[in-house]
Amino acid sequence: MQRRSFLQRIGLAAAATAATATLTPQSLLAAEAPKGPNTMDIDAALKAITGGKAVTPSKKVHLKAPEIAENGAVVPVTIEVDSPMTPDDYVKAIHVFATKNSNVRCADIMLTPANGAAMFATRIKLGSSQDVLVVAETSTGEFLSAKQSVKVTIGGCG
Amino acid sequence: MAERKSLIKIKPKKFKSGDVVKVNFMVMHPMETGMRKDKKSGKIVPADYITEVKFFFNDTPFTTMQVWESVSTNPVFTINFKVPAAGTLKVVYKTNTGEVQEKSKKLKPKG
Repeated sequence: MQRRSFLQRIGLAAAATAATATLTPQSLLAAEAPKGPNTMDIDAALKAITGGKAVTPSKKVHLKAPEIAENGAVVPVTIEVDSPMTPDDYVKAIHVFATKNSNVRCADIMLTPANGAAMFATRIKLGSSQDVLVVAETSTGEFLSAKQSVKVTIGGCG
Repeated sequence: MAERKSLIKIKPKKFKSGDVVKVNFMVMHPMETGMRKDKKSGKIVPADYITEVKFFFNDTPFTTMQVWESVSTNPVFTINFKVPAAGTLKVVYKTNTGEVQEKSKKLKPKG
């Protein structure tokens, strides 16, 4: 964990200077996401990220995924979060989970106001038919989520 | 290790400073989960996947991603970026095998 302590030190230095200096994207970039073990169930993964805080389903989070995916190896996922993306109010992080994969965590994206809009798109693998869960963390400390079930005809793992 | 093919695409192609553009980062990478068996030899293919992707603008990081095995083969990562002025966009990624690669692209906003 040398790297983490190094990052924390940088964070402290940035916080000390932030009072006088203007806000830079670097100082607003969320610290490294909590790294859990590779394989864990969805509840443990959520707890590692939220620290036990409540996750509320919200209409602000738009998750676009196909209802039926013929090939589980390439499932396109697009996430958009309604946010002004100003230094006071922005989306800090977007977490993507596949609830029934052997590793439920897909990606954690740490954003800054420099992004202009909170959006992330990629293609993920789904082992079987399951829910795709997205949790967005705002700078005000809220956790908003969206969920969609995807039916998979051919599994994408193995 | 040899350099892997990667590509940064900006959409739309023409933009002004202050515009929000889509940044597409594509990598040719197998994203092996470490759970798949080779059909011929029957041995397990060792895990090889991207763990971290960092986006820099003029050497200032603005977006960091932690990526796991569940992302598809030859992944595409799309994010938005508000272009403040002309500069260099750089993407650095790391894999679980310790490989570090980078790719950069110059942004030239018009007007």
